[in-house]
Amino acid sequence: MSYIGSHIFDRELKKGSAELLILSLVEDQSRHGYDIGNLIEQRSRGVLRFNVASLYPLLYRLEKRGWIQGRWVEKAGQRRRRYYRLTPEGKKILAAQRSGWREFVEAVNRITGIEHA
Amino acid sequence: MPDWKVEITRRLSGLRLSPTREAEIVEELGQHLDDRYEQSLQGGATTEAAYQATLIELTESDVLAQELRWVERPVRHEPVVPGAQRRLNMLGDLWQDLRYGLRMLVKNPGFTVVAVMALALGIGANSAIFSVVNTVLLRPLPYQDPDRLVMVWEDDTKGGYPRDTPAAANYIDWRDQNQVFEGMAAIADLSFNLTGNGEPERIDGRRVSAHLFPLLGVEPHLGRAFLPEDDQPGGNRVVIMSHGLWQRRFGSDMTIIGKPLTLNGESSTVVGVMPPHFQFPSREDELWVPIAFSSQEAANRGRHYLQVIARMKPGVTLQQAQAEMSTIATRLQQQYPDQNTDLGATVISLHEHVVGDIKPSLLVLLGAVGFVLLIACANVANLQLARAAVRQKEISIRVALGASRLRLIRQFLTESVLLALLGGGVGLLLSVWGVNLLKAFIPEKISQAAAITIDARVMGFTLLVSLLTGLIFGLAPATQTSNFNLNETLKEGGRDSAAGSRGNRIRGLLVIAEVAVSFILLIGAGLLINSFLRLHNVDPGFRLDNLLTIQVALPAQKYPDHARRSAFHTELVNRIEALPGVKSAAVTNWIPLIYQGDSIGFSIEGRPDPAPGQGRRPTVVTRVVSPHYFRTMGIQFVQGREFGEQDRVDSPAVAVISETMVRRFWPGEDPIGKRITSGSPDSRDPDDWLTIIGVVKDVRQFELTADPKPQMYLSYLQAGFFAPRHLVVSTDVEPLSLAATVRRTVWEVDKDQPVSNISTMEDVLSESLARQRFSMLLLGIFATVALVLAAVGIYGVMSYSVTQRTREFGIRMALGARGLDVLKLAIRQGAKLVLIGVAIGLAASFVLTRLMSSLLFGVTATDPLTFIGVSLLLAIVALMACFVPAHRATKVDPLLALRYE
Repeated sequence: MSYIGSHIFDRELKKGSAELLILSLVEDQSRHGYDIGNLIEQRSRGVLRFNVASLYPLLYRLEKRGWIQGRWVEKAGQRRRRYYRLTPEGKKILAAQRSGWREFVEAVNRITGIEHA
Repeated sequence: MPDWKVEITRRLSGLRLSPTREAEIVEELGQHLDDRYEQSLQGGATTEAAYQATLIELTESDVLAQELRWVERPVRHEPVVPGAQRRLNMLGDLWQDLRYGLRMLVKNPGFTVVAVMALALGIGANSAIFSVVNTVLLRPLPYQDPDRLVMVWEDDTKGGYPRDTPAAANYIDWRDQNQVFEGMAAIADLSFNLTGNGEPERIDGRRVSAHLFPLLGVEPHLGRAFLPEDDQPGGNRVVIMSHGLWQRRFGSDMTIIGKPLTLNGESSTVVGVMPPHFQFPSREDELWVPIAFSSQEAANRGRHYLQVIARMKPGVTLQQAQAEMSTIATRLQQQYPDQNTDLGATVISLHEHVVGDIKPSLLVLLGAVGFVLLIACANVANLQLARAAVRQKEISIRVALGASRLRLIRQFLTESVLLALLGGGVGLLLSVWGVNLLKAFIPEKISQAAAITIDARVMGFTLLVSLLTGLIFGLAPATQTSNFNLNETLKEGGRDSAAGSRGNRIRGLLVIAEVAVSFILLIGAGLLINSFLRLHNVDPGFRLDNLLTIQVALPAQKYPDHARRSAFHTELVNRIEALPGVKSAAVTNWIPLIYQGDSIGFSIEGRPDPAPGQGRRPTVVTRVVSPHYFRTMGIQFVQGREFGEQDRVDSPAVAVISETMVRRFWPGEDPIGKRITSGSPDSRDPDDWLTIIGVVKDVRQFELTADPKPQMYLSYLQAGFFAPRHLVVSTDVEPLSLAATVRRTVWEVDKDQPVSNISTMEDVLSESLARQRFSMLLLGIFATVALVLAAVGIYGVMSYSVTQRTREFGIRMALGARGLDVLKLAIRQGAKLVLIGVAIGLAASFVLTRLMSSLLFGVTATDPLTFIGVSLLLAIVALMACFVPAHRATKVDPLLALRYE
């Protein structure tokens, strides 16, 4: 049970946090998928990595929920790219997820005693 | 740079995404991979290594598809092309057809609304009429095992009464001698003056055999039914009342059982209250008392006034019951030759008795609405055909993709049935409204009229009719459009093949059918209207204008003898005649058109009665009147004098007779001074004889449709055995404006005397024609709807055809044809169809109108005038419908026409 449980926990944790990561990254400026993937990898110093197969379905899901909005943008001399930006509804969700995440992390820290380490 | 598209597309293939969405995803993901590839190269990797590193992004290929499956909804192929997929899943196909059909209907709101409304009208009318048929004809009567209940009548066909009310002695013999009935009960008319607790009130009721209620299988709501000992002469004075009377007059008093009731001046004890909705024999009856034959009554074979109901033993058929009753009647003929000669017995089912009058009307009406629906079907089929022509391209593509003919037919039928069900739904709503309308029209005599509702059976009927309708109007377009040659369609370059000769033929057939069916309906309506007009033109023999009629029936208890009754009536008539606005007034036992009884047998002085077994004495309809009756009623005198002051109770008895009586019994002779008797022809007592003093014109005494029978009028002062019960007042002013004054005058004479049925003679006549009016009005409405629908149908087809031929007309005009030539050409086409339709309708009407001959009066079922008139009417309307589009054809601009398409 513990194997399966921990596996699911891991995946769900990643998925749940991934939403938060993406929303945070498109909060201030709109970005395209590759940019988002790169930023996650860079800022997590390689700990978190999404490949195409997992990143884009996530983007589409968030878009479907109306939290982010994708738009094809053409810039001079470049191929057109799809840029995602946060919607007003996404903003609310991001705020809620942020505080939720913070509480969660604090709670986990309190239990695991990381603070005292 | 490598092309990732193939790799990505392969991974998305299972998702059935819409092509646009798929392309977007491929583009976006492709860019990502490009970037990743470039980054690797910049990082110093070889192209091979960079390629491998990039592909890793896609390695978890199942993950991509799996994740996307959650997000991206697979898109259904749009539009679904039935027939393109050879699946064997019937339900799936049906679902697909339904969705597709619904989409097509939504896409063409104009067509859908027109078609649904036409169908709703047709189906709604059918449901409304069916709800009447259902309640009146199909619903079993509200008695136990109603199939075993029958009415038994005396059969006096020779005397002109094939269903005569039996005499008490005959009833008693029938009851005691038969082996086929479980029980038999007699019913006689009796009205009651209910006094005490409240205003005096006239209430209709019946004397009934004690076991009538058990025979019907109905238990009282309160109290008990009659006991055998109640049904004895001098037995208990007991009464059972209707639920309605109990509620209305006694406020649903639960303690009413055992309380006394003053009826006709005598006290009776209430023993029972019948359940709600119980009615027998008619709706008006509210009180029942035991019939309790006196010994004279029980021995009487000359007075025919009973109604007899019987319950057949289980397993006995109507034929067996009839045979048994005929045997008994024959035996009675031999036993009592002086009174029972030529007197048979007729057994008919109670159901037939109750609905017999209205049944032919209802069946004809049901047939008529069926026809209206057929016309609506033809119209919608035409619309479908026109639309199918537009959809030709869609169909060719389907066929090209491999759709089978059956699959296409199924799709079209699904659409039609869907349309019909929508029409049925709206129609059901319309019928709710229609039923309420019908209730206002339906003759009051139809006792179940109040119970007419839309029940489950009506809904089932509506559903069935809707489905059938959909199949009928869908079949022609379905087979038509599905049966075409792909090559030809393509060769015609997109011109619809339904516009070709085959499409025109079907459209033409539909027009012919519409014309023929509406012709039949118009003929039916025409015959009924004609009958009704003739009925109204029948001279009833009395005046209708400014005539007030009031029922004033004296209670026997308060007015036990002739002298007291005469005094009341003389006083009343004198007072009424003194009122301002009154020309004259009179009393009679029965005003015309409301009662078919009181015929008596008589002998003529100097002529021997028929020998026993050689026939019976002639009968004459007898009415008792006061002196001013003839002038009040406007009945014309032919010869002799009317009743006067000299005709008193102690002077020789006199009679005024009708022309028919003179013709029948004294042809070519002067009847004045001749003497007749209702007693023995051998009597020497002058008091037994009536001397004829005058002759008046015939009066339609029984009903407007029946030829007058011999009639005789007696003076109310001399004929004590018939008590007057109706007052007639001839007025200078609007008759009903005097109603209150007249009623007050009655109460001045006797403050306890109930007054009822205040009406004008016009209304009495009108009421007697309720059944005819009902049929005429409804059939007239249906025929009008049919005519309009047919005209719309013809117009539609002609418009379509003219549009199709625009190019042809243009060429003709370019070549020098004048507008008139084109007009002729266009009209000729329509006229041909209309004439064929009329010819078929004519032939069919000759056969079908025979079915309604029992509803006609004064016209034959093949009345030439009606047939010619209707032919002309229909031809004119139909040609008008042709003319409008044809006229448009003449306005064609040849230049435009040649460019048309």
